[in-house]
Amino acid sequence: MPLSAFLGIQYDFQWSILWTGEYGHWLLQGIWTTIRLSALSWLFASFLGILAGALRTVPFRPLRALAVSYVEFFRNVPLLVWLFFWYFGAPQVLPRAAQDWLNHHGPEFWSAVVGLSVYHGARMSEVIRAGIQSIPKTLLEASVATGLSVGQAYRLIILPIALRLIIPPATNESLNLLKNSSLALTIGVAELTFMSRQVETYTAKAFEALTAGTLTYLVMCLGIAAIMTQVERRFRIPGLIARVGRAEH
Amino acid sequence: MRRAVYVAVGALVVLGLATSGWAAESTLEKISRTGVFTVGTRTASPPFGFINKQNEWVGFSIDLAKQIHKNLEKKLNKSIKFELKESTPATRIPLLSSGTVDLIAGTMTDTRARRDSVDFSLTFFVTGAQFLVKADSPIRGIQDITGKRVGTQQGSTNERALREKGVQAQLVVFPDQAAAFTALVQGRVDTYTNDGIQLWGLKYKAPNPNEWKVVGDFYTYEPYGMAMRKNDSDFRAVVNNALMETIEDGEYSKIYEKWFGPKSDTPYPLTDSAKSFLLMQVVPK
Repeated sequence: MPLSAFLGIQYDFQWSILWTGEYGHWLLQGIWTTIRLSALSWLFASFLGILAGALRTVPFRPLRALAVSYVEFFRNVPLLVWLFFWYFGAPQVLPRAAQDWLNHHGPEFWSAVVGLSVYHGARMSEVIRAGIQSIPKTLLEASVATGLSVGQAYRLIILPIALRLIIPPATNESLNLLKNSSLALTIGVAELTFMSRQVETYTAKAFEALTAGTLTYLVMCLGIAAIMTQVERRFRIPGLIARVGRAEH
Repeated sequence: MRRAVYVAVGALVVLGLATSGWAAESTLEKISRTGVFTVGTRTASPPFGFINKQNEWVGFSIDLAKQIHKNLEKKLNKSIKFELKESTPATRIPLLSSGTVDLIAGTMTDTRARRDSVDFSLTFFVTGAQFLVKADSPIRGIQDITGKRVGTQQGSTNERALREKGVQAQLVVFPDQAAAFTALVQGRVDTYTNDGIQLWGLKYKAPNPNEWKVVGDFYTYEPYGMAMRKNDSDFRAVVNNALMETIEDGEYSKIYEKWFGPKSDTPYPLTDSAKSFLLMQVVPK
């Protein structure tokens, strides 16, 4: 029984468009752009997240206030609005020459990177703050008592433990970032969702193109989740973090 | 035991879905059974289908669809409800295939590739691609866009044409007209290309229409048609007959005058060749 009859629609499925000629090539290009966009944004977002998350817990009020204002400002506005802001709005304050330069160096892609990084950095920082705050305060005090400065205590003791604790929620945020990168199509970035729609508009084969896009996201997300499980397994501190996989003893 | 019940229920649901697919009914049967004629159209493509200042969903394509609705009531000899649904270039074919809408009447260009998936009515409007630029722009047509950043709308045939012509311009593709126009206003792109008539619509809707110019000769041919599910010739005959009657009895000219006449927001005179082309599509009774 053909799939179209099964679904109760009159439609002639033609899956071969996905790997014939330019359309398969487009999808691959889209996947590559999605990976580049997500990976770059993830790096910047992690940096911003760790910085802001750590600053929110330091015993120095102005730094905490700075981090709080960053987080609350950026996570409370929809990502789509931020993308429009970074693409349409922000470059307007630059001098004309800088705008011209930017216009010839992929402003769509870089606006999307900035938008995703700053937005997800704010969200990531909450995860990291929760990780740090789940560590007893006495650990920081004990570290400082051994002669470390607060900065050293964070770098050498607190953050290494916190980063291990937050792997599951951080995985969640990373997956969100990957999926949210599809919003970049609204400002003309030719990522995976864009390309599946592009294939659809050229071939009028909507079900095939959108199914290909959907499955690719699924595979990428499952891949990331699998990698993060491995990371968690590898870096756990026995006795401190919930075990992954089979029990030992 | 309980698990067996779940499996049985699941199997029945699947089977139900499957058999409903086998008994595919024609569009006329479906409209007659449900008493509703559902048309997919645009919400932001003046003057074809858009929400006006009074918050009403109106347009040239919608008025033509209403003529088809009249013909449909005559044919089925009963009163049928006329319903509109939003359809975008990305959603219109799935909406049609799944039976959510019965007809797409918007700004869809009839192409040979699209005819693999849907059937088209007669051509009800003819336009071609041009460029929208700021009034002081040096761009005068397709010959001037080499090395420029050109905004296009995803799903449009113009984007495809530019690629196929191998034009050495940097294409920036936006999912909708609003984003593309904002990019043009902010200078992110140097020009925006789309079907000429849509560019005129944008120009007239802009806060200061004099700041904008539509330039260049048509570099594509864009015949707009209404799309239907494939292989349903009875329904297609109703649609085409309605369009032919509308053209023949002068109703088309009245509707055209309302949306494109000199007093409308988007004056766009019907050229003589377009007029004779429309008339020649009308076959004898």
